[in-house]
Amino acid sequence: MNNIIDFQHRMAAHCETGTLTALFNYSGLKITEPLVFGIANGIFFGYLETDNFPFPTFIVRSRPGQIRKNITSRLGIKLKENTYKDVAKGEAALDKLILNNIPTAAQVDFFYMDYMPDWQRVHINVHFILVTGIKDDYYVVSDSYYPKISELKKESMRKARWAGGHMPPKGFLFYPEKVPTEIDFRKPIIKGIKNACRNMIGLPVPFIGVKGIYKFANKVKEWPLLARDTEHLSHEIMKINILLEDQGTGGAGFRFMYASFLQQASEILGNNNLADMSKRMMLNGDEWRKISYFAAKIGKNRDLGPDKLAELSELIRKRGDEEKSFFTDLKKMV
Amino acid sequence: MNAEEKNNLKKEITELIIEVLKITHVTAAEVPSNAPLFGQDNPLGLDSIDAIEIILAVQQKYNVRIADQNLARVILESIDTIADFLEKELDNVEK
Repeated sequence: MNNIIDFQHRMAAHCETGTLTALFNYSGLKITEPLVFGIANGIFFGYLETDNFPFPTFIVRSRPGQIRKNITSRLGIKLKENTYKDVAKGEAALDKLILNNIPTAAQVDFFYMDYMPDWQRVHINVHFILVTGIKDDYYVVSDSYYPKISELKKESMRKARWAGGHMPPKGFLFYPEKVPTEIDFRKPIIKGIKNACRNMIGLPVPFIGVKGIYKFANKVKEWPLLARDTEHLSHEIMKINILLEDQGTGGAGFRFMYASFLQQASEILGNNNLADMSKRMMLNGDEWRKISYFAAKIGKNRDLGPDKLAELSELIRKRGDEEKSFFTDLKKMV
Repeated sequence: MNAEEKNNLKKEITELIIEVLKITHVTAAEVPSNAPLFGQDNPLGLDSIDAIEIILAVQQKYNVRIADQNLARVILESIDTIADFLEKELDNVEK
C-alpha cells in the first residue's frame, strides 16, 4: 500500500536538531533549529580518551539523544520512542505509522542513504531521517542533509536501521504524541543557557567543557606518541576538520548554530547583551574554523612536526581562553 | 545584479578558487561554471579540505559566512551555485 504524507522538506545543519525541528513544525509549533539546539543546551566540549575509542577524540555537542531528551522535557513535548530487535516487527511498525499519516524519525546508518553522492557516504550509525511516505518498494524520506525529498529502497532502509557496529540504531523510531503549539520560550531559553554555562565552565571534570578544550590543546602535542606512523597521525589530525565541520555540526563545531540561538534568544528575551554575545560567538566560531582548516592542511601535507603541533595546540588553547571568558560572561546575563 | 555582472561574479569566483588553491593545471576560462566542483571527475580536482579553504576565502573576500557544511555542499556544487548564493547574500547586504 502506498501513502505519501504532505510534508514540507527543509535542509538543516544537524540531523538530530533538524529532524526534531521538522517534526515540531509539522505538528504546528513554530520553532527554529538553533532554538531547539540552544534550549536543549546542545553546545558542549569533551576530550575523550577511553577504551571505546581507538584514538583520543573530542565531541562538540551533547551526546546523541540528550538534545531530544532536554528539548522535550523543557517544552512539554511528548515523543513516542521504540526500538525493534525484530526486523519484521520494526518494518511493520514504520509502515503502519506512515499509512496513518504520521511522519516518523528513524535512526539509520548514513552509509545506506543511497540518494547521497557516493563520496559523501560514510558509516555513521547515529544519523536521523524522517520517513514521510511509502511508494511501492521505496520509502519517501526527508533527510535534512539533502536538498530535496528523496526515495530510499526498502532494502537499503532495512540495512540502515539494523546496521551493526558502535551505537547501532536497533530499528529506533520516534514521533511526536503531544506538541503544544503555544509555548512561552523565555524560561526554557534561560534554562538552556544556564545549563550550557554549567557544562562549559561549571563541571569539576577535567575533560569536559573549557577544561576539555585545554586538555585537547595539551594532549594534541602528544598525539605523535600514540599514532602508529605518520599516515595514522595525519589521518587523526585531519579528523579534527571532520569533527568540527563535516559531520552536521552547524558550522565550526556548532558554535555558529549557538550564535544564531543567542541572536534569537536576545529577541525573545528583549536582552541586547545576548545579541552582542551572539556576535562574539560567531567570531569564536570563525577561529574554530581556522583550527579546522589548519589541521586539515598540516594533515594533508604530512607537515606534522613539533612546531606545527605546537601551533595547533596554541590555536586550541586560545579557544579555551575565549570560551572560558565567554561562558563566564554569559552566565552573568541570565 | 544583471547578466553581465553575474558573469563577472562567476569569473571572479573561479579566479579566486584557482588563486587560493594554487591550481595550475587549468585556467579560469577552462572551468565550465556548471561543472561539479567536488566528487569524481571535477575539472579542478578538489577535495573536501579544499572546500573549507574556499569557504574561508569567500568569507574573507565577500564578508559572507557559509555557516554549515550541509548548506556548503549545496552552495559549493559549482561556480554557478556559489554565484547564486553570493548574489542573494550581497543583495541582502545592500538592502
